[in-house]
This record gives sequence, C-alpha cells and structure tokens, in this order.
Amino acid sequence: MTTPGVLPPPAETATPVARQRDGRPPVRRLRQRPRALFIVLLVISLAMMLPLLILLITSVTPGAQLDADRWLPTVFRWSNYRDALTGIPFWHYARASLFLSVVYAGLTTLSSALVGYGFARLRGPGKNVLFGVLIAMMIVPQIVTLIPTYLLFSRVHLIGTYWPWFIWGSAGAPYAIFLYRQFFSSFPRELEEAAEIDGAGRLRTFLTIFLPLSRPLLVTAFVLAFNATWGDYIAPTLFLNQNNTTLAAGLASGYFSNQNIPEPTVLAAGTFLYVLPVVALFLVAQRQYVRGFINSGLK
Amino acid sequence: MTTAARVWRSPTRGRVGRKRANGSVAFYGFISPWLVGTLLLALFPLGYALYISFTNWDGLSKVKPWAGLANYREVFSSPDTWSSLYRTLLLIVFVVPATIVGSLVLALFLNERVKGRVVFRTLIYIPAIIPPVAAALIWKNIFVTNTGSANRFLALFGVRAVPWLIGGHAFYALVVMMLWGLGVGIIIDLAVLQTVDVEQLQAAKIDGANAFLSFRHVTLPAISPVLLFQTVLVLIATLQTFIPSLLLSPATAANATQGGVIGLVPKSNTFYMVNVYSQFFSYSRYGFGSALIVVFFVFILLLTGIIFKVFGRGVYYAVDPTATNRKARRR
Repeated sequence: MTTPGVLPPPAETATPVARQRDGRPPVRRLRQRPRALFIVLLVISLAMMLPLLILLITSVTPGAQLDADRWLPTVFRWSNYRDALTGIPFWHYARASLFLSVVYAGLTTLSSALVGYGFARLRGPGKNVLFGVLIAMMIVPQIVTLIPTYLLFSRVHLIGTYWPWFIWGSAGAPYAIFLYRQFFSSFPRELEEAAEIDGAGRLRTFLTIFLPLSRPLLVTAFVLAFNATWGDYIAPTLFLNQNNTTLAAGLASGYFSNQNIPEPTVLAAGTFLYVLPVVALFLVAQRQYVRGFINSGLK
Repeated sequence: MTTAARVWRSPTRGRVGRKRANGSVAFYGFISPWLVGTLLLALFPLGYALYISFTNWDGLSKVKPWAGLANYREVFSSPDTWSSLYRTLLLIVFVVPATIVGSLVLALFLNERVKGRVVFRTLIYIPAIIPPVAAALIWKNIFVTNTGSANRFLALFGVRAVPWLIGGHAFYALVVMMLWGLGVGIIIDLAVLQTVDVEQLQAAKIDGANAFLSFRHVTLPAISPVLLFQTVLVLIATLQTFIPSLLLSPATAANATQGGVIGLVPKSNTFYMVNVYSQFFSYSRYGFGSALIVVFFVFILLLTGIIFKVFGRGVYYAVDPTATNRKARRR
C-alpha cells in the first residue's frame, strides 16, 4: 500500500532531473522552458522586493521632500536613521524584543521537541485523544484564547511583566510539536533499543540521541518562534505597558516631531531597522530552516 | 490481588505490566509541558470566557452581573455581527484561494531547474517573514493618498489620487498587503513536491503527458492531503484577521489601545475579530465580547469539522501519517 503524503527518509529527497533521451525535441524544450521561467521568476522577485525598495527610498528622503512628485529624493538624508534610534527609545524596545524572542523561541524549541518526542516514541493511555486535542489546538484561533488569558493573567498580576513569555514558551507550540512528532516518528526502533541496552533512560535517550539528530528542525522551530515573537503586535500591546513594551508595539505608535507632526520618513527608517534582524536571521538559517521542513515530512 | 502473587505466577507478565506503567509515566512526563500549558492557557481561559459571556462584566468592577443568554441573543440579532462576518467571508474569498494557488504555482516554478533559483526562492519568500507591523507600515507608506507611490504610479496614467486607506478602498489595500506575504506556503509546498514520485513523473512524460497533464494526474493527487491541510490553516488564520486591519488604519495604534478602534478602522475592514476587539477594548463590554468569541469558536470548530468530514481521506494522512505508515510496514 502506498501512502501518498508520507515522506521517504530525508536522504532520498533528490530533485527530479529530466533525463536526456535520444531525439532532439526534449532537449530543446529543456533549454527553452527555463529561460521563460527565469524571466517570470525575475519579474515576480522584483515585484516582491519593490515595497522594500520603496521603504528604503522613503527612509533616506528628507522629510520636506516627501510631498515632491519624484521617485528619488535629490539628496539622501541618512540621519533619518539616527533620528529613528533617538525619536523613540529604540534600543530599549529592541532589547525587550530580543529578550522575549530569545526566551520564547529557546524555551518553545526545547519543550516542543520534548512533547513531540513523547507523542512520537512513547505510549500512554489517552494518547490518541490527546493528539487530537493537539491538532485541535493548531486550529483554535490564538486570539480566542489570548483575551481570556489576558483576563486570567491580570488576576494573578502578570500583566506588565515578562513572565507570560516564559509560560508560553514552556508550554511549547502545537505547530512545532507536530513537526517534531513527524520527524521523530521516522526513526528506526533500534535506535532506542540500543540506548536502552546501554542503560540509558528515556530522557537521556532523548537528549543524547534524538535531539542532536534533529538539528535542522531545531533551527526551523527556533526561527519560526523567534519571528513570531519579534513580529507579535497584539501580545505586547495587551500584556505590557509603554515602558517595557517591544519594538513592534513601540514602532506602531509612530514617530512625531516636536510639534507633534508625524514623521513618515523617520518611521520608514525605524521600520527598516526593525525588519533587518528578522531577514538576517532567515538568511543565516535558511538552509537548515528549509531542511527542517523537508525532514519532518508533511507540513 | 497483590503484585507478589502475580509475579510468582507469571514473572514475565508482571514485568511487562510494570514496564507499560513506566512507559505511560514517561509519556505523560514528556508531554506534561504542553498538557499543563493547554489546560492553563487554552482550556481554562476558554472556560472563563464562557462564564464571562453569561455576564455583563465591564472588565473592571468586582461584580459580574448575571445576564443569562442576553449576550448571545444580541450576538445573533446585532447587525454589526452579520456585517463583520460578511466582510470576513469576503476577505476569505479574496485571500485564501489566491494564497494557496499562488504559493503552489510559485513552488512549482521554483522546483524547476532554473538558473539562480536559490536566489529567487529567497527573494520571493522574504515578504512572508516581514512582521505584520512592518508590513502594515510599508504598505501604508505606499498607499497613503498624497505622498504614496501607488497614487504616483497611477498618476502616470492620468488616474486621480485614490484615498486607499479610507473607506471602501481600504479593503483592496489590505488584500494587496496580505497577498504580498503569500510565500508562507512556498517552503512547505516545495518540501512536499520533493515527495512526488520521480518515476511516475517520468512514466507520464514517456506516455506523452505535457506539463499540465502530469501535474494534474501525478503531482496533484500526491500533494493534495498537504494542500488541504494548508488550506484549512490559511482559512482559519484569515478568519481571525484583525491585526493587519488595525495597523493599516489611518490612526496610530497607540490610540487604538486607549479605545476608539471602531471609529478608526474603515467599515470595509471591520472584520469579525475587529468587532470583538473593539467590544473589549473600546466599549469595555467583556461579557458581550466573550459571547462573540464563544460563538466564533464554535463556528470555526464546526467549519473545520465539516471540511475534515467532506475531504476526510486526505486529511487523515495529514493528521496521522505515521499510523498508516507503521501499519503498512507491519503488513
């Protein structure tokens, strides 16, 4: 019985290569199609990058030239970036963003791996029901639980503190748990048996054998969680206050001049600086990030 | 019966029993972070919201006046509920099919051996990782009436300045912004495309199938379970849309938390969750807002249930592929 949708082991994920055959037509088609595709992809890529380019241009436009009907300013005003760092407590917010993102991503990466291992390799009564609950939690709108959680946390005085991120992180993320479960399920049984014969307990088997093997997935889970927290607007807005909030919430309030006039060009500079770490992290981790998805099979 | 007696009668059985008990302790030990988290952060808050929905609590006072089913009656009778639901469904029509088909088509393109495809893949995917706040600020900058690039571009064709962020136009600005990030699914699609049987594709080619036919008859069936699962996730995510619509609205978000959301978000972008949000944080109607949440929750659950039922077979693989895998191997 073939099972479509179930991945073969990671090693066999070769890209399909069109084999050359006798006769000319296939060869010519091979050469032609990629060229047309190349142009299509080039156009799409440029279109996708255009908004970022416009942001970059706005960020170096002198405020007075914003109204001018031109695509490029006559001079580049790089000091917009300095203003972006000083107009709001940028570093203060950025530190909060970084702290919460690292805390949440680090905790959730490990706890999700732990839970994913449990679902993949261990047995217990009610496992299938609980796995169903896990899937349901992927489907439950997060905002549906966020407002009631806000009510709960405000009762125990956790509003305005960073504790909610520690708690959320420790609980793991259903999405990441699911990825880990898929991945750990594909391992041969002998792996554990060998460890058991050596006298290793469950936790040690997990920590010394399974965890090191799941590096791409660890990266995937970390990047996903980091980006989610770095980009999260609603949780900081609800759970934190003006003094200890994150860059996402701080930036959304905008930049204003002394006369209380909005400064879109400085805001553009601030936005660019805010986006940079996320893009950089993705570029650095891209390879492992993509492999994490491929290794874990579906989804 | 005491364990000692059992061990005496059948030593192996006792050991197996103990091992299984140990195993389930280990299982619950391993999943405990998630289990506790779900009880505390999902099920308990949901129960609490359910309770609040039967009251007229304002979020501040100590007393929570009992309201019975009044909030629920209002949910179904209020025109705001229905208009916001209609707006949400409209958004889904515009965003969900385009996102699913768009990311699949892009993934198919990127799966070909094209020069520089790694660079293309990166560039096309980057918008998907841009945080929502930044995406909103970027598009606001483009769509702003007087200085935005969108109107400057349209002016080249003699089109008069369009107030993109205000009124009915805001909906299209929002759709454009949401479609910009459609690359989210590309990586998953690309991963799944790797699983398509190469031999089957080659066989189709030898049989004379063109690109469309081999996609239709080989690739699509193989990836359909994942596509369906992805569709459900995108659908649910889109149903909940409210942060982009808050952020894209003309006024800054700082005022939004201090109330007045409803006046700031254009009517065309007042989706279901925007309505919920403003009931809580603009009008302090925690009871009514909770009732809206409960109704929405049930609605989403039913919708998902129906989708899973109708397309059950495909989703089965997506939900628990290893179960079938293991069974297949054992056979």
